Amino acid sequence: MRLIIREDEEAASLYVANYIIGRIEHFSPTPANPFVLGLPTGSSPLGVYRILVERYKAGEISFENVVTFNMDEYIGIPRDHPQSYHTFMWQHFFSHVNIHPRNVHILNGNAPDLEAECVRYEAQIKAAGGIDLFLAGIGEDGHIAFNEPGSSLASRTRVKTLAYDTVLANSRFFGNDIAQVPKMALTVGVQTVLEAREVVVVVLGARKASALQHCIEDGVNHMWTLSSLQLHPYPMIVCDEDATLELKVKTVKYFKSIEQVALAEGFEQTLPTSLRTANTNTPLKKPLPPPTIITNTNGDSTPATTHTHTPPESESESSPTIFAPQPTTSRLLRASSPAAEYPLRMSRAASPELELVPDRMASRIIGGEALRGRLTPTPKVEGRVGVVGA
Amino acid sequence: MRIPTTDGRLLGTLLKIQSDPKASPFSYSFPSRAMATPTQPENGITKLTNCRLVRGDNLVFDDLWISSVTGKILRSQAAFYDGLILPDRTIDLGGRIVSPGFIDCQLNGAFGFNFSTKFEDMSQYDTQLQDLNIRLVQTGVTSYLPTVTSQASDLYKAVLPHLAPSGAARDASSGSESLGAHVEGPFLNPSHNGVHNVSVLRQAHTIKDIDDMYGPSNTTPSTIKMITLAPELANMTPLLPTLRSRGLVLSLGHTAATFESASAALLAGATSITHLFNAMSPLHHRNPGIFGLLGATSSTLRPFFGLIADGIHLHPATIKIAFHAHPAGCILVTDAMHMAGLPDGVYPWTNGSSAECDHIVKEGAVLHLQNSETIAGSSIMLIDCVNNFRRWTGAGIPQVLGTVTGTPARMLGVEGVKGCLEEGADADLVVLSEEEGELRVDEVWKFGERVFEKGDGR
Repeated sequence: MRLIIREDEEAASLYVANYIIGRIEHFSPTPANPFVLGLPTGSSPLGVYRILVERYKAGEISFENVVTFNMDEYIGIPRDHPQSYHTFMWQHFFSHVNIHPRNVHILNGNAPDLEAECVRYEAQIKAAGGIDLFLAGIGEDGHIAFNEPGSSLASRTRVKTLAYDTVLANSRFFGNDIAQVPKMALTVGVQTVLEAREVVVVVLGARKASALQHCIEDGVNHMWTLSSLQLHPYPMIVCDEDATLELKVKTVKYFKSIEQVALAEGFEQTLPTSLRTANTNTPLKKPLPPPTIITNTNGDSTPATTHTHTPPESESESSPTIFAPQPTTSRLLRASSPAAEYPLRMSRAASPELELVPDRMASRIIGGEALRGRLTPTPKVEGRVGVVGA
Repeated sequence: MRIPTTDGRLLGTLLKIQSDPKASPFSYSFPSRAMATPTQPENGITKLTNCRLVRGDNLVFDDLWISSVTGKILRSQAAFYDGLILPDRTIDLGGRIVSPGFIDCQLNGAFGFNFSTKFEDMSQYDTQLQDLNIRLVQTGVTSYLPTVTSQASDLYKAVLPHLAPSGAARDASSGSESLGAHVEGPFLNPSHNGVHNVSVLRQAHTIKDIDDMYGPSNTTPSTIKMITLAPELANMTPLLPTLRSRGLVLSLGHTAATFESASAALLAGATSITHLFNAMSPLHHRNPGIFGLLGATSSTLRPFFGLIADGIHLHPATIKIAFHAHPAGCILVTDAMHMAGLPDGVYPWTNGSSAECDHIVKEGAVLHLQNSETIAGSSIMLIDCVNNFRRWTGAGIPQVLGTVTGTPARMLGVEGVKGCLEEGADADLVVLSEEEGELRVDEVWKFGERVFEKGDGR
């Protein structure tokens, strides 16, 4: 886990924007090997989008060969509704940069078959070669995407019912009329996010301080779904000072010091080269489908085409990061998982799991055979301990 | 690779308007082909960015997507998500203002051509009209009502068919677009004739009198859009509902109507006042006359009104009072004569078909009959009216521009199509810059194509 702490919202947003730009530049994406970026909505990433747009307009970055996947979308409001996430992305990002619409993916909350839409979305991520960097925000309750507290940490893209808190909070965008607020959404799952090669989370403001504390200092817990990042090999959280209010001084100082030491020593903690560059040797990525040009600009029409991806020949082998649903830990520790790509190969400590030697104080007392019975009030339990090694 | 942004200056060098006024200035070709994203064919879509759009009473920093294929303003979000379309070119306007194209509801002629002129060979009329349209659009007026003053019936029947709405072809190279003719007369009060020839003024007793005057086929919005009339004459007021039901815009002018008779005309279907204060009874505190309609208590009765903001027809203070009395009804018109756009001097004027030839003296924007104090229309450009009006009233830029865009569009019943920047409206645009407090027409777009760009030397 990397925790980058910056003075304020602006500085934190600038760090993230610079980081993304640096990643894309270093990656040198091409049409055959695009950079795949996961994107959030909400207030947290607004500054990041603004800076990315500024940098694009200044000619410092191109999104021509960037493929995006958005986290979530409401169900049951028109796509062009002012509060839809399609509209959000259009207004804050897509309309200002040179990203091609065929490279943009947002879940369709008006799909006739929502379940099929989710399956299709996962398949699209897979066809794009998996997500290189998933940018995320965080809710006050620690949710990532619409994975509300209690969501399975092995969840994938699916229909999610929104928590009452979230509906209440969102009612301010819908004329304070709860009846108008969507009650359901489509969202990528926790597992979908964890399968990205890198996850970068923006956490801003005092309101998020409690969530940040739970996600960093406590254990992995489905009530704070962002805490699942602890299981990811390359997570980075970027926050402002306000968001650290609930953290221990020690935690803050630790993360600040390792950043400073790393900078001073010229050894910044970064992704392994194989993940940072477009690796053309491994057939991770499918080339983008040829552009489908449709001259129909009629806004009322339904999308005239969707990309028809042919499924990879052997799905489980075509990507090291995308697999069928399975428990997080087992997947992360597989030979071909991102964790295994970490340069410092994990060597597991030898554990004496085969031969457990029963060892009790009573047995060490010389001539204490007579005491054994007395000091072992429950011989049955004694026997079981020997078996399971507790 | 970045999407190439088309620098305005670069386009400017390629879009030089030719100096010969007879030659079409539209024989350019857009240079964008080489710059378009190579992976997609041309779709005729231009994105204007870094500009301030006139939206309601605000200037909003936003992008505008326009299509030269449909000639309309696009729903950009839908084009992106549904059509998977990117613009052919992006034009950075450097923070300048994008206004809907101007609409002039009262224009008698310009650049030496008078709409109230009958030629032996009427094909000559069309030639001159086309030339006027191409030059007029360069002033920012993208649509207008060609106005014919009080004339004999045969002249109306001869010229009106040529002045019918001309936008059906949606051809940007045709220049400014007629939204239909404005006939200012001849059913006017001789006591307030202005420079109209009293001998041709008539009274209408039946609807047939009106049809016979203009030609029956012309008295629908397919040709005539607007009629200026004096409601107090003969049987005119009872005829108004019939005319209104045909979709004609009825405007009170050259009239001796009192407040009461004018109110009755509004109830009967009139919606507007032609060049307020001029050629009508002045305000008297016990007898407010037509101007009093602006103070009507019922908002449905408050008419639109035209103001000539040339500094000659009306005192600046008068303009300010009228605007503040009813801002939502205020429309700037030029009432310009054919001397507009010509150098100063003495010009012959036959006043339509009348035999005697008068002369009009043009000094700057001022026109008057030779050897007379009578004002003979104006020769001002609409953008100059806009600047005068802004200076005199202190109104904000969106409000000022509304008087030549949104408000006339509402009066003419073309809101949502003209006079606004809403998605689906025609892409008739004026790009304005601010210099020393004056708005300047930098570029004009018609049906999604740039048809004028101001050169650096002008």
